[in-house]
Amino acid sequence: MPEVVVNGVRLFYQQTGEGPDVVLVHAVTSNQAVWVFSGLPDAIAAEGFRVTTYDLRGHGVSERPPTGYTSAAMADDFKALHTELGLEPALVVGHSFGGVIGIHTALHHPECVRAVILSDSFFPGLKHVEPNFGRPNVWVDLRATYQEIGVDLGETVNFTRLFRATADLAPEQLKALETQVGPIGRGWLRQLPLLAETTCGDEVLAEAGLTAERIASVERPVVALYDEFSPFLATCQWLEANLPNCTAEIIPEAKHLAVVENTAGFTAAVVRHLKHLTAAPQPVPA
Amino acid sequence: MSRSAEQLYADLATVVATAFPDRDVSVAIGPDTRVFADIGLASIELVVLGERLEQFYGRKLPYGPFLAGLRNRGAEDLELGELVAFLQAHV
Repeated sequence: MPEVVVNGVRLFYQQTGEGPDVVLVHAVTSNQAVWVFSGLPDAIAAEGFRVTTYDLRGHGVSERPPTGYTSAAMADDFKALHTELGLEPALVVGHSFGGVIGIHTALHHPECVRAVILSDSFFPGLKHVEPNFGRPNVWVDLRATYQEIGVDLGETVNFTRLFRATADLAPEQLKALETQVGPIGRGWLRQLPLLAETTCGDEVLAEAGLTAERIASVERPVVALYDEFSPFLATCQWLEANLPNCTAEIIPEAKHLAVVENTAGFTAAVVRHLKHLTAAPQPVPA
Repeated sequence: MSRSAEQLYADLATVVATAFPDRDVSVAIGPDTRVFADIGLASIELVVLGERLEQFYGRKLPYGPFLAGLRNRGAEDLELGELVAFLQAHV
């Protein structure tokens, strides 16, 4: 896979299509395969965009340094990748933490970002407005899965605990867990112990300077796509009320991973917003 | 002239062994071999495999739509027979 070295870290990426740049940024513990398997890159490219997907540091087949996992550090990675690949100001589509990176990049490196489309992102800097922060339904589901093999991950999201608990699983526990998550989930499980060797778990939940005040100062257009059964609907409402240029939309039949849970609905919404965001300004009638 | 299925299985064995040298791919390669359950690839490695196949054959393949089609029909794994049929159609 093509690679680029940014801030001393080797990142793997893919590109498809021609036209205005769109960059898809995945979530914590995910990788760019989530986009590829959804067909989203090809669907966007078919509408006249150049789509770049990449694996964040520590994820997928990118290099895994011990530190540098805050949204601020990853925004710097985005900036360096953007420069190395010679991209135009990009429309950033970020799922969950990927959206946090998109917003942080729009603030720190606005020359790299044309607009941000968020998919069900949580912001540590907005935990005071979010009653479900730390207790999203995906964590509840994951906790239940681990409880079946006798491991308690705790009530609130704790990635470091997840990584270390997975690293410490006995072979029979790991086998039972692999059976539960299936063949595709096995690859996801396999990377968790590797992330235990890094600061990723704690750093992705750090505010890292992205305070509510800073988030509210984003001048680039923001589209907030939040899932019908999202744990972060208060965040969605806050973004719509406080950002100067924010459009919110609910993706039905999804609870945090709309690109997988409602691929058709999510794809249609993303494509529609991308086309709107790049449409030439309409002439003002005389 | 398109490559035979036999040639394509041999190609796959070569590409997989080269792309994932730290992986035990001593499993017999055949139409029923599953990339996740038998070869032990992760989903991101299946994406990498697509890139490596494009390099090997020196041409762009519609690999993204192929993988998306796999997911759309709810498949939990990919049998090499399906991948070989895809390659027969495109290389």
